[in-house]
Amino acid sequence: MPEQVTVGQELPEVRVTITRAGVVRYSGASTDFNEIHFSDRHARAIGLPGVVAHGMWTMGAGLRVVTDWIGNPGGVLHYFVRFTRPVVVPDTDEGVEVVYNATVTAVAGDVATLAITARCGQDAVLGAAKAQVRIA
Amino acid sequence: MPISPEHAGRTYPPAPAYRVSTAKIAEFAAALGDTNPAYAGDDAIAPPTFAAVIAAHAWGALFDDAELGLALHRTMHTDQTFEFTDPLRDGDDVVATLRIERVRNRGALDMVTVVVDLTVDGRSAVTARSTLMHTREVANA
Repeated sequence: MPEQVTVGQELPEVRVTITRAGVVRYSGASTDFNEIHFSDRHARAIGLPGVVAHGMWTMGAGLRVVTDWIGNPGGVLHYFVRFTRPVVVPDTDEGVEVVYNATVTAVAGDVATLAITARCGQDAVLGAAKAQVRIA
Repeated sequence: MPISPEHAGRTYPPAPAYRVSTAKIAEFAAALGDTNPAYAGDDAIAPPTFAAVIAAHAWGALFDDAELGLALHRTMHTDQTFEFTDPLRDGDDVVATLRIERVRNRGALDMVTVVVDLTVDGRSAVTARSTLMHTREVANA
């Protein structure tokens, strides 16, 4: 739990790497077996450059920027994201990195509001993302 | 008749209860690469976005409703909101109820907002609101 929370405060950055193996793992764990998450052929058929990560993975992994900071994930009260661009995952050992940042935008009583960004290369992959968390 | 604003308010019978388990929590946390200790041990809670796994099961009712004419493979998830009252925990039997909140038609696109209310022992634990963009199949001219 952070000791003091002020508007404008920046949370520690979180960087998460996703590989094709990671996408398959998320398919299994979430039981979302949409073909665009394992088949380049299916991904291209709907206009994507290749296999993409699940939007819900991008959202879920990104919440770590908040929960690593508050400690207790049970303190998350609200979480919103818009899926603006897919995270395209190359068929390489290195995969691709998503970089998450968050800033405190409001504090009211024991609730803080955070604006979250997620970047993959030059692309913002989440839009207008925000969370509200209990900080006491 | 395809899905239209008149379908807003339609509610489906709840899906069979989903039992949360430590094994599934561990699997899901590993898939997120999240090693938060809250997701392990005897009092494990599920990562907050695990709620989407149960909510997405409830979406099945939408795609099974022939009147709406929705196809999963022509559907994109455009935004997602969660409101958390209580974390989901090992042993919870989670009941998911799906409601169509809002429908907008724009040309061949249907923007459908659905709300899944996840309850445990009759109390609301998580509300998952999703906007889905559906592309209607257009008959060849």
